[in-house]
Amino acid sequence: MTAVLQEPVPGFEHEALFYRSDEDFLDGLLPFVREGLEQDETVVAALPRNRLELLRDALGDDASAVDLRDMAEVGRNPAAIIAVWDRLLREQTAAGRRLRGVGEPAFVGRREAEFAECRLHELLLNTAFDGGPSWRLLCPYDEVHLPRAVVRGALHTHPLAGTTAGRRTSPDYSPGEVAELFGAELPRPTDAVLRGIYGAADVPATRRTVAQYARTIGLPEEKVEVLALAASELATNSVRHGGGTGTVAMWATPGAAIVEFSDSGQVDDPLTGRRMPTLEQEGGRGVYLVNQLCDLVQLRSADRGTTIRVTTWR
Amino acid sequence: MYGEDDDAFDAAVREFLAGGVARGERLLCVGERVIESLDGGIAPLGDTDALIADGALSTLTLAEAYEATGTFTPEAQFAFYDEATRTAIADGYRGLRVVADVGGLAVDPGTRDVLIRWEHLADEYMAQGSGMSAMCTYHRGIPQAALAAATSVHPLVHAPEAPPPFQVFFDDDRVALVGSVDTFGADRLARVLASSPVSGDRAVLDLGRLEFVDVAGSRVIAHWAQDLDRRSLPLEVRGASPLLRRMWQVLGLGDVAAVRFAA
Repeated sequence: MTAVLQEPVPGFEHEALFYRSDEDFLDGLLPFVREGLEQDETVVAALPRNRLELLRDALGDDASAVDLRDMAEVGRNPAAIIAVWDRLLREQTAAGRRLRGVGEPAFVGRREAEFAECRLHELLLNTAFDGGPSWRLLCPYDEVHLPRAVVRGALHTHPLAGTTAGRRTSPDYSPGEVAELFGAELPRPTDAVLRGIYGAADVPATRRTVAQYARTIGLPEEKVEVLALAASELATNSVRHGGGTGTVAMWATPGAAIVEFSDSGQVDDPLTGRRMPTLEQEGGRGVYLVNQLCDLVQLRSADRGTTIRVTTWR
Repeated sequence: MYGEDDDAFDAAVREFLAGGVARGERLLCVGERVIESLDGGIAPLGDTDALIADGALSTLTLAEAYEATGTFTPEAQFAFYDEATRTAIADGYRGLRVVADVGGLAVDPGTRDVLIRWEHLADEYMAQGSGMSAMCTYHRGIPQAALAAATSVHPLVHAPEAPPPFQVFFDDDRVALVGSVDTFGADRLARVLASSPVSGDRAVLDLGRLEFVDVAGSRVIAHWAQDLDRRSLPLEVRGASPLLRRMWQVLGLGDVAAVRFAA
């Protein structure tokens, strides 16, 4: 067991850290990381590669005590990140250790659609971990180089916000925005769209059609297979839970191949597919698997129906 | 499928039948080659003569089984097996387990199509929980075309007009899964694997010719591994695609039962 904490943390503490320079970044991060190490907590930092290097150099000998992960990999699809923290939290709680995390999902250079997913992800972290075991997560935001909307959005998704000057509760924190973001319509495609309708007997055909399309636009075979599997799982969901039929839409942009599945069903839980299903749990695996395997997955659901957009970068 | 003097075939037949004895089912062996398997040795089936004397095991030559009532039609076959299953249950058995050598029928173009129709019917019958389970055997020596047509129904398809999504072959010491398995075929795969003859000290599942498998299909394999594990039989999976192995890891299926992946 670890030493008794002088200042027990109540519940999940989710804080945005706004920084304006490398020095600023380290000034905010190092005390947080070092405090975790001093309190014998398990410290995990998921950051873009350049930030990882910065932190590693600044930590010196302490770097080996911190679990450093490349956010471009673990957070490639933002909807896959909660599963990472969830697993770490369960493991550390079972081992009697406290978890302390640093996560920068909304890093400079990401695409607009990715930032939109990061915002939903940040908000859903609160849904996922509020009321659970106590742990802290600090999320750095590059105030200078990120789009202004992304920086402002962080104030809405984090109950706590700070700079190196100090931390405070965020007056703009809006947990109620989950329904709004999760129910929002995705931007309409501006490119030519191929569309088809599938029913219960068409899952294999849907799978083959998607694979054929992915091949035609030149995706590598490995990604073709992943998309065929995603198509099978998502079309099956429509047949089983989404009213029995659905629509598949496919289009390409210069930088991506997009396959989108829509049906008339409604997904009630915005965390669907974001946590690893238990071994005996029925259902919930398809979206989880797609989240883990694909580049960007955007799930939106409201009373008008459900859409899952799967983007593959090329 | 079996070849000449194939000890593995004998063992597979006896293993399948022994599973029926353990479940309290009546056994029916159809075809000369299957009947021969009963002579080869006793274990793990027990005393076959005693089983026959008790009425727990009966044998029919192909001629007796398929020709006695005149022409071979699916309807006549269905009536025969339905009656035999009902009688078995009325006599206090939990069901009827059949091993039938149908290769001869597959060779004859006159009976091949009828055989395939009958096997579709039989599969639906078994799937409905009628109490009947069956293993059909084909001799390796029969022509490829005949074999392809006949085996395309093992373990059979959803709709007779659709191509079979997947097939399972019990071959020597391994089980081979070929084709595509998705959610809609997963229950069927579970039944076929559960009744597949596995003997020796381990089971081998060959996925080298599997074109596609989804989450539901992967879970069926994992749960079969779990059942085997309870019988102290480790499962070795050969020829799994990189994507299946990634899916296995992502879904934590290794926690259901340990499976050894091999090339």
